[in-house]
Amino acid sequence: MEQFELLTNWAQANVESFMLYLLAAIAIPCAFSVLFDRAIIRSGFFLIGVFGAISGLFLILQAQFLALAQIMIYAVGITLVVVIALMLTNARLEKEFSSIEPTERIGGLLVAALFFLTIYLALRSESWPVSSLQMRADNVLQIGVALLTNYALPFEFASVLLLAALMGAILLAKSDPKETENVTGSLVE
Amino acid sequence: MIPNAAEIRKLSVLSFSWLTVIFVAVWGVCWLVGILIPALLANSSFDFARAVSEICEAITPLLAVMVFIPINAMFMVLMERRVLALFTRRNGPNRVGPDGALQTAADAIKLLLKEDITPTGADAAMFTLAPIIFFAPSIFGAIPLLAAVTNNNKLFQIADLPTGIFFVLAASSIPVVGIVMGGWASNNKYSLMGGLRSAAQAISYEIPLVLSIITICLLAGTLDVVSIAKQQSGGILNWNILGGGALTGLNKAIAAFISSAGPPIAEVIKTYYPYGWLSLIGVIVLCLCTIILFGIYLIGACAEINRIPFDLPEAESELVSGYNTEYSGIKFAIFFLAEFTNLFIVSTIAVVMFLGGGDCPLPTWLNPLSYPAVYIPLTNILSPILSLLIDKIHLINPDTFWAALWVILKTYSLVFFAILVRGTLPRFRIDQLMDFGWKRLVPITLVIFVLVAFARGVINFHV
Repeated sequence: MEQFELLTNWAQANVESFMLYLLAAIAIPCAFSVLFDRAIIRSGFFLIGVFGAISGLFLILQAQFLALAQIMIYAVGITLVVVIALMLTNARLEKEFSSIEPTERIGGLLVAALFFLTIYLALRSESWPVSSLQMRADNVLQIGVALLTNYALPFEFASVLLLAALMGAILLAKSDPKETENVTGSLVE
Repeated sequence: MIPNAAEIRKLSVLSFSWLTVIFVAVWGVCWLVGILIPALLANSSFDFARAVSEICEAITPLLAVMVFIPINAMFMVLMERRVLALFTRRNGPNRVGPDGALQTAADAIKLLLKEDITPTGADAAMFTLAPIIFFAPSIFGAIPLLAAVTNNNKLFQIADLPTGIFFVLAASSIPVVGIVMGGWASNNKYSLMGGLRSAAQAISYEIPLVLSIITICLLAGTLDVVSIAKQQSGGILNWNILGGGALTGLNKAIAAFISSAGPPIAEVIKTYYPYGWLSLIGVIVLCLCTIILFGIYLIGACAEINRIPFDLPEAESELVSGYNTEYSGIKFAIFFLAEFTNLFIVSTIAVVMFLGGGDCPLPTWLNPLSYPAVYIPLTNILSPILSLLIDKIHLINPDTFWAALWVILKTYSLVFFAILVRGTLPRFRIDQLMDFGWKRLVPITLVIFVLVAFARGVINFHV
């Protein structure tokens, strides 16, 4: 009996870290494949794998809602749109990496280094507030309240940004209406 | 005289026999694994036995779904062919078994024995992965619904999630990845076109679909499927399709009018509709909105699972067979299985969210079984016969039985409706499809969402 309880305690403590390593073992190779795969569309599918593994991390942290939103919006919605765009522009072209200009290479390296530095500093910083409150299974309510009280301003700014992006996309995609008007006009006359 | 009475009789016999087989098998497995084995191991003093019984209880929902999906898909294919034969006045399947009742079982065996071909130039790994990604989410997605459709049976409570309906929606959004992947990996123009169309269509129609479900969640005040189903109990006036609980007060008022024992009618109405004529307008708006939402949900769901007015990804007159052109053998069988399973799951979501889950459509005051004068003699007669099954070995659970019966009836009615639509409507053109999705459905659902958010303020829900 005691052994059984010991076993279950051990399992509970270790299942989380085991799952963490498992998800990392999925996410990191997928992330590298996104970068290094020759077929760019396959890279897109690997990106779905990365997002799926990250939503698994959210599940370990008891953030069910975030995990599901991650799957629904990032893993399926956004990545699929990217994949469609790739298919429409260069469908199934396993393009050789053409010779890249050295200046472009340096620019890319700079951006990558800056990005890495930002992420690294953010992760190492001390200000990660840890709440001692008991985790609740249903944290949709908390997320909603937080979004509309403490984080109302960033939330609204994000929505305005998205709206602006949407309007810009529509403006870019809009075809010139003049020609079609002329055609229909002549037909009516 | 009905001209095709013989066909209708065949369809009814077929449905009844297959449904009996399906649900007896599923419940048999659940009972065996979830009740019998733990009960046998309960008195054992070994730790190992305890662990086994816990594992058995934990995997019961998974086993139920795994047993259910293949048999159900076989039945649904057969039903679809029979019903289409009925609508077009042809002979349905009639060679294998009595009146063709075993046709799809034979088809399944044939598909499993066929050669599995991977075309030259295809991306083999992706080609194999695509059917799995298409099929696996329908298993995950179905599990949280189990507790809702069985009236919160003890066996399935383990699968009940606080984010219930959101989980189901997230899981049902994954299969389109499988379609795009399969379409791209096949190294075939038609497949690629099918995959592209499917992705565009699924993303466009997911928005109205999810917005309609969100509006119902707003009315219900929860994401948990079990509580959404529970809130709607007590007859058709409480269902979400009629105002999402806005008519509960009317229901209670009629009940108060019939039985003189309860509180007076004026008081009941005052409790539920506190603002007089403003509440009346709210009730009318809510009823209209939820009925329109139900329609939008059905349209969005049809597009999401590529049923016929929206089957552009596999339009056989343009794209041979769309994304699954190159598939054969067991991989094709998995695609086929998943399509029908998705149809069933989408119908089940509609039943749980809009049509009251496992609730009898008759309001309590109209249902003869709810009066003591009727049900007491009935239980007196039946209890000696059934007590062995109900109380001793728990083979029958009356709550679950009635709930499951109503869910089965409602769900397969919706499936029948989907087949009716398939037999009636021609296919959309791709630009019409996009216009209809983005310019009609999305604005309508957004307007309804705002209307519902305001209208629910003038009525008291679920008091």
